[in-house]
Amino acid sequence: MWHLIWDYRGELIQGLWTAVAVSITALFLSLFIGLVFALAKMSRFAFFRGISTIYVNIFRGIPALVSVIWVYFGWSLLFGKNFTVYQAGVIALTLLYSAFFSEIFRSALQAIHKGQREAGMALGMTRIRIFRSIIMPQGLKIAIPNIGSMYIGMIKDTSTFAVIGLAEVVRVTQTINSQYFQPFVLYTAAALLYVAIAFLVDYIFKGFESTITYPSNGIIYRFLTRKKRAHIQELVDANS
Amino acid sequence: MTGSDTIISLRQIKKSFGSTEVLHGIDLDVHAGSHTVIFGPSGSGKSTVLRTMNLLEKPNSGSICFENREYGPGLDGSELVRGKPIELRRRVGMVFQQFNLFPHFSAIDNIAIPLATVTGISKSDARERGAIELKKVGLLPWAASYPSQLSGGQQQRVAIARALSMDPTLMLFDEPTSALDPELVGEVLSVMRALAESGMTMVVVTHEMNFAKEIGDQHIFMEAGNIVATGDANFFDNCNNERARQFIGSVL
Repeated sequence: MWHLIWDYRGELIQGLWTAVAVSITALFLSLFIGLVFALAKMSRFAFFRGISTIYVNIFRGIPALVSVIWVYFGWSLLFGKNFTVYQAGVIALTLLYSAFFSEIFRSALQAIHKGQREAGMALGMTRIRIFRSIIMPQGLKIAIPNIGSMYIGMIKDTSTFAVIGLAEVVRVTQTINSQYFQPFVLYTAAALLYVAIAFLVDYIFKGFESTITYPSNGIIYRFLTRKKRAHIQELVDANS
Repeated sequence: MTGSDTIISLRQIKKSFGSTEVLHGIDLDVHAGSHTVIFGPSGSGKSTVLRTMNLLEKPNSGSICFENREYGPGLDGSELVRGKPIELRRRVGMVFQQFNLFPHFSAIDNIAIPLATVTGISKSDARERGAIELKKVGLLPWAASYPSQLSGGQQQRVAIARALSMDPTLMLFDEPTSALDPELVGEVLSVMRALAESGMTMVVVTHEMNFAKEIGDQHIFMEAGNIVATGDANFFDNCNNERARQFIGSVL
């Protein structure tokens, strides 16, 4: 019974890897698009605000299963182009999670004290530079914990892509189960795989969070900034 | 523009927030090397006037004349070239009540990074300048510290150093000590006093009346969006405006 998990460990891990690959691609795309929609929502122009509001309100409400079937079967009919199951999965996830990340970014950026922007303006920095160097780094610090938990949700949502035939965890489990009829054992293994990846993602994101504390004390940070810190120490000694 | 030693002039500045008019036509001249103090009750518009000087608040009408250029929407019929706010802001420094240091930069980088990005010099040259400015405010040993590791008085002194690193012709102070614990106020006032003695043109909004009396050579009392009384360094002794005397009496 339980030996099935060991026997099929290769296929199961491969399924997990597929889920991670699809979700990571979708993560990068939806972070970028989410940021664009967040900035649009905060724009002076009602047109951009309107588009962003409509997009976010619609796509936050669609389940991943509906989204992936719509993209894989529906868009193919409409655009006459066949997506691979991998591409359809990425697009489906990106459509949904851009909406979530848009709201995460918007609330993170709005949480930043407006005095930060005013200080940048008073120093004569350009708007773009203020955003790049002052606002965005602080916004990321606020947003990263939320992005991490959203990403775990994304990985779990890939489980619904079994219906279009993507060879991720659930699909692989279904295939093995159809041969051996051991759903308890096999789906326990599937669940454990998701739990394991969730722990790993959480650990990685906690690592990101501790990198962004001010002041940062991580080994990597100390290595990357050694020249800068040495220069500052030199200046302090020279002028004392 | 009036005389050649006038650093900045405000002409008929009117400002409304929504439907409420908060400034009703302010006229103000600041001469080179002078120290102007603006004081008055809450809601009098004194911070708004100060923030108009570097266009953090854009007036609804009126003109700001700075270094032979005009800024702002203007009185009607103005023919002079109208400047861009960012050019004005690069020549005017501002210190805020809430310090507004960048929390993700160390003290020296708070000075160096904006300096490098605005003037285009390299980061290491900017850090050298940062070290010099920190030394002037007595904070060089804390160059690598982050704002969260500094006291309020230290943070405000870094903020002053940051504004000064841009070599401004005019320094604006918006209630610089109002957010500080009383025992930390003195160190910030010392820095401001030294700056005043070095000949910097300063406009200060403050409740520190003793300090105002000490360094001010132009005093402006505002109430409800109007300048009610003005005077020179002897304003506190010779004031003949009833409302101003009442206010000063209640504070000093």
